[in-house]
Amino acid sequence: MPGASRISRDANTTLLMAKKERSRQTRRARFLLLLPVLLVIGIFGLFPLSIALVYSFLEPGTYGGVEWVFSTDAYVQFLFERDIFDDTLTFNSAYLQIFGRSFGLAFITMIGTLILGFPVAYFIAARPPEQRNFWLFAITLPFWTNLLIRTYSMLLIVRDEGIVNLLLINMGIINEPLEMLYTDGAVLAGLVYSYLPFMILPIYASLEKFDFSLLEAGHDLYASRVQVFRHIIIPITRPGIVAGCVLVLIPALGAFITPELLGGGKKLMIGNLIALQFGAGRNWPFGSAAALILMALVLISLLISLRVGAAKEGSHG
Amino acid sequence: MIEVKNVTKRFGEGEFAVTALGDVSLSIPEGSFYTLLGPSGCGKTTLLRLIAGFELPTNGEILLDGENIGHLAPHLRPVNTVFQNYALFPHMSVARNVGFGLEMLKRPKAEIDSTIEEMLELVQLGELAGRRVDQLSGGQQQRVALARALAPRPKVLLLDEPLSALDLKLRKGMQTELKRLQNETGITFVFVTHDQGEALAMSDHIAIMSAGALRQVGSPEEIYTAPKSRFVADFIGDTNIVNAELLSFEGNKANIRFKDGSPLLVPAASTALKPGPVHVALRPETIRIVDATDDTALLKGEVIDSTYYGAGSQMLVRLDDGVEVHAQVVSPHILGSRVGLECDTAMLHVLED
Repeated sequence: MPGASRISRDANTTLLMAKKERSRQTRRARFLLLLPVLLVIGIFGLFPLSIALVYSFLEPGTYGGVEWVFSTDAYVQFLFERDIFDDTLTFNSAYLQIFGRSFGLAFITMIGTLILGFPVAYFIAARPPEQRNFWLFAITLPFWTNLLIRTYSMLLIVRDEGIVNLLLINMGIINEPLEMLYTDGAVLAGLVYSYLPFMILPIYASLEKFDFSLLEAGHDLYASRVQVFRHIIIPITRPGIVAGCVLVLIPALGAFITPELLGGGKKLMIGNLIALQFGAGRNWPFGSAAALILMALVLISLLISLRVGAAKEGSHG
Repeated sequence: MIEVKNVTKRFGEGEFAVTALGDVSLSIPEGSFYTLLGPSGCGKTTLLRLIAGFELPTNGEILLDGENIGHLAPHLRPVNTVFQNYALFPHMSVARNVGFGLEMLKRPKAEIDSTIEEMLELVQLGELAGRRVDQLSGGQQQRVALARALAPRPKVLLLDEPLSALDLKLRKGMQTELKRLQNETGITFVFVTHDQGEALAMSDHIAIMSAGALRQVGSPEEIYTAPKSRFVADFIGDTNIVNAELLSFEGNKANIRFKDGSPLLVPAASTALKPGPVHVALRPETIRIVDATDDTALLKGEVIDSTYYGAGSQMLVRLDDGVEVHAQVVSPHILGSRVGLECDTAMLHVLED
């Protein structure tokens, strides 16, 4: 029956067209839902970033701002010092050292928040569900106060006449006040304190779904406590740990208030360096270049860590 | 062989303390399929967790082949558990789950690989070795959990209601499967369940528990045909419990009389009972329906309900003293008719309480 086969082919074509139309509609709906986010990212993310990119290739204006003359000086200045007399370039590691110190401090901050934050996240996840909200509330409580104010109060605690020194002197443990303010240690303590919740929350999120009977299963299958931690808890919560590390490391790299107040601005951090260029330094192109270099370094290290993570995942499967 | 000696387990302190197990002693023969049976909250899971090492006894000893393991950590006991929810490691493949125990025992790689293969073969999952566990069905996860617990060749395998999450058909299949695995491996299985059908079908020995104490230990036949107490008779199957009067004992048989009946010699759970009113267990499948006026009728009553279930019917008879009795019959009598119940006196059983 040739008629029947033609009808069925027509039916097939109609079905195919309906499917295409359907998928076109879903795509459009998806795009409309994404539009607000795309606008926000575009206006407040990509647009300023493009300005920074353009500015980094211009010359600084005498009173701030930029001169519209193309120049790669900002990037050259990052690594080399230009002799004022004969224009020869000599290698200058001052800015690299600032970057290195910032990376080091941010990395130690990350490790510190991880060591302090993981047990806290585990503790909360192991509470009965009705108690967890209370603890989460307690973790987020500091956010109710401005970071600046929190950092100032920290300053009051660690300065020479601060609570810690007074207590130690009154208890007769020390005679002279310990010099804690304006040291790397104070900056580190401030950073760890400020970023701890950013480590706790993602780890908690991955532990919340954790099936604690897996611990018993591990113990039962001849794994000691340490082995259970290494082979079961860590791999299952790895996404949360990675997210927490990224959320702490990146903002800690660009931290500005904490090193300024607790470090006394004695040793520059990347954040202070960049801020300085747009303020007293009056070198906007160099500030833009430093910000972009920082971003590039962060992106590269993120990509590497993702690669390593993926490779590790693969070997597990 | 596992010996549990005078084990008591209390949770909590002081006035809030709850006794989960009170002075329990039992011994589990090597290579047997031993079932702990009881309603929820009877302490059977606590006992299993004490043997596994997840809980420590408040008092008493747990001996494995004569050695006290009661206070060892779980990873130091040659005992593995199949968990109720399987507790498979979601970040590992099927093969790595199965090999985990041996990996922790630091066995050579070649041995681990060959054991994984052998175990997956044993539970008929050989082709799924590389799968992630969340890609498996409930029944398959169950098999992986079994293979994982069997792979280190434990002296004892503990199973905590492993079949309760499966649907009826799978459960029947797994019952046979578990029995086969136990025969093939020769490992002692300690199985916890609240399903008496499961217990009767699979076990070599059944220990019936309630309220943190053992009620009766015996083979499925002993438990079914000679329950000691009302609780056991009630819990195993749908036994009828009828009233009678104990007259005396003749040897180990009891001389009893139903209301208005003549004396009968029947088996008894204990010869220490005092003459007077007693309870007698009467299995529904042993009852024959006769005419109410028939001399052989032991009990008389009125048919008040009947339910058809395919292979026959279940008839509900209200006896003259008000007790309701189930009887399995091929063709039910019409509702409201008066009938007599008769059965082989050897099938009756006088209970302790």
